[in-house]
Amino acid sequence: MRRADIQDEPATYERLVYKNTSVYHYMRISLVLENESTRLSAAQLKQLIVSGLRDLYGEVGGAFPFDLLTFDESTLTGVLRVYNSGLVKLWSALTLLGFYQNELCFFRVTQVSPFLLTLSGNSRELELD
Amino acid sequence: SNAFLRRYLLCEVCVSDRRNLSLLDDRAIYTATKAAVARAHGDYGAALSSLGFSVKYLNAHTGIVFLRCRKSHYRLLWSALPFITSLENRGQRVPCFLNCLHVGGTIRTCQKFLVRYNTQQLHRMLPLCQSEAERSEIRKSVLSCTLKKEADDEEEEDE
Repeated sequence: MRRADIQDEPATYERLVYKNTSVYHYMRISLVLENESTRLSAAQLKQLIVSGLRDLYGEVGGAFPFDLLTFDESTLTGVLRVYNSGLVKLWSALTLLGFYQNELCFFRVTQVSPFLLTLSGNSRELELD
Repeated sequence: SNAFLRRYLLCEVCVSDRRNLSLLDDRAIYTATKAAVARAHGDYGAALSSLGFSVKYLNAHTGIVFLRCRKSHYRLLWSALPFITSLENRGQRVPCFLNCLHVGGTIRTCQKFLVRYNTQQLHRMLPLCQSEAERSEIRKSVLSCTLKKEADDEEEEDE
């Protein structure tokens, strides 16, 4: 119980909101092919994504840089990095990519984050002992 | 009022041989422009720019053409114009380039610009005249530059 004659000091707090501290977005992707034994190199995967970008957004619209930071050839999973302005275009191009050398395929995007650290774990693969 | 604001791109078709200009028709320009947008901006750009896109006016004598599109994505069209390298009509391919002179919100503003532009062009040609007869021809055309009701424009004197 507070005494009635004590004046309340105004509550002070400070809230810091950072918007877009990261210039990049990171995406963990995995390529799923019709023929499960097909393998690609990292360069071939990048070329596939570039061709998808070019089909959807053209020579001019698809001409923005992105990087394949890691790629595991045995599981066909990797991490892409793209500038924030290119995220929507890259993600939509991945969504609409359907063929790799006449073979049906699709990209599964498992994680997207402005911070690379977030991609180090996810609750789907979390093992609780 | 209109739900979609328009942008009119006033362009000049430049060919090496002026006689080839008479082969032009609006279909050739329409298909060449759509192909250039598809190359430059992909499926996304082709589909988006085709909304409300049309060739509104073409003058086969002067090579002036009005392209109409929506204000929301006229830059897709505008940026693809330098990639047009030829026009095809009835099996004949004419190498050319499109020079965008003006971007206007209405046909009327484009017409007003065209009258000013043609006047400037004629004035530029006046000192290059070889004979007094040519000079009087040009003076007559310049003095007769008016804004008519239809999308009309002045004939440029052949050099």
